[in-house]
Amino acid sequence: MMRRAVAVLVVLACAAGVAAYQATRPGRAAANPHVFVPSPKFFLDFSPNFRTSIADVYYLDMIQYYGEHLRGGHLQSLPAMVDLVTTLSPHFKRAYIFGAFALTDVGRPDLSVKLLERGFAANPDDFAFPAYLGYFSYQYGTGSKQANDAAAARWYQRAASIPGSPPYLLRLAAVLAGKGGQQVKAIDMWGQVYAGGDKYARQKAVDGLDRILPTDKLARMKALTPLQSTLSPKDFEALIAELFKGYLQ
Amino acid sequence: MRQVRAIAINTFKETIRDRVLAVIVIFALVMIVGGLWLGSISLGEQGRMMKDFGLATVTGFGLIVAVFIAAGLVHKEVEKRTIFVIFSKPVSRSAFIAGKFLGLCGTMAVVLAGMGLFLFALVGILDGHVSGMVLLAVLMVYVQLLAIMAVTIFFSTLGSAILASVLGICVFIAGQLSQNVLSLTRLGKNPLTEALSWVIYTIVPNLSAVDVKAGVVGEQTLAWGQIGLWTVYLLAYVVVVLALAALVFRRKEF
Repeated sequence: MMRRAVAVLVVLACAAGVAAYQATRPGRAAANPHVFVPSPKFFLDFSPNFRTSIADVYYLDMIQYYGEHLRGGHLQSLPAMVDLVTTLSPHFKRAYIFGAFALTDVGRPDLSVKLLERGFAANPDDFAFPAYLGYFSYQYGTGSKQANDAAAARWYQRAASIPGSPPYLLRLAAVLAGKGGQQVKAIDMWGQVYAGGDKYARQKAVDGLDRILPTDKLARMKALTPLQSTLSPKDFEALIAELFKGYLQ
Repeated sequence: MRQVRAIAINTFKETIRDRVLAVIVIFALVMIVGGLWLGSISLGEQGRMMKDFGLATVTGFGLIVAVFIAAGLVHKEVEKRTIFVIFSKPVSRSAFIAGKFLGLCGTMAVVLAGMGLFLFALVGILDGHVSGMVLLAVLMVYVQLLAIMAVTIFFSTLGSAILASVLGICVFIAGQLSQNVLSLTRLGKNPLTEALSWVIYTIVPNLSAVDVKAGVVGEQTLAWGQIGLWTVYLLAYVVVVLALAALVFRRKEF
């Protein structure tokens, strides 16, 4: 009886000790931002059937690493991690997109652009890559504001040309081309929006053209002349009627 | 033929009743469900994580089941002395090996079907639509494991069960790497190592020729012709290895 009571007491004391240690132990030590990231070549050579699994493991690791070190601003190993994941799994879209945005926190939007370009080369049918490239050119471009807008317009136009892309991309391209000083290109794009769009898109095209076209009647007509060959006569006449409403009175 | 069938049925019943097998399968199912947790920390890539880690789990646990059961099949009969009862009847040693292998094929089919259907259902729930590709990938894992089972049975006729298990796992790993090792050796331009690598490459089953798992997660477009050819190659490999096992077993004295 005595023995049993002692045994129970020992077990209870041990249980209390375990719980007390777990409840009061210090938090985890700060993780090292310099993580060893193997070369993608190593895994490409030695894991033919488990590449995607390894890419997924490193993708999860990359997310944890980003979350842990974002506040301290020490993300030195992030570029290598992004490179490893996307090299092992070249069609892993979310890894590219997450990586591109995360790399801007390292202060390397140039790497983001390179990463997205690599992603687009591996996934030429996915409009998301040129669309994000448009965003990065607009937001982080190293040229003048106008040059960045023009570069973004080019990417958005490319994204809009991919089947299945949303219609707003061409409108975005047209707006940015206008802002980027590429008036002729912008007029052409607005013409395309007008020709292929619904009522809402057509109104947007009219408004967009109205903003970039000269106010002088003759100059306006001259600027619109190229659309005559790209739009059907009916569409062209309807567009002219909309754009010259105030001029006819 | 009747003897092969009788041994196969008996082996199937014996192995499927094994409690260790049930524990391994339950553990594998828990691991597959663990993929759900991994998916939840993957920024919206739950379906991909589930498929990828689920198939890796099916492969890993399938390998453990295949190797450890295959390695003990012949030895159990010898240790329990039941082999003398079997060979006192008109059963050839080749029929014994073939029957044991076919029985284990049935067990593995049940084990992998269980894990595969479970994974298939989970992926269906997560993705909102069912994907037959998961089942195809599990089928390809099964074909790979058939080759490993045959090799392990061959090794079990040569040595102990533990040695056969270890060698079976080594052949699985070598089968994943053989093609790359050959290409790397060719870069060295040493005729001797190149010839040696080529011999190993030819002997070891080529398990990396087709990666259906990458196809399932959208990394590759599957070439059906290549998959078919690879399946036929592995089945032919199984026949050759079992014939060798029977040859070795015929000369064995108890």
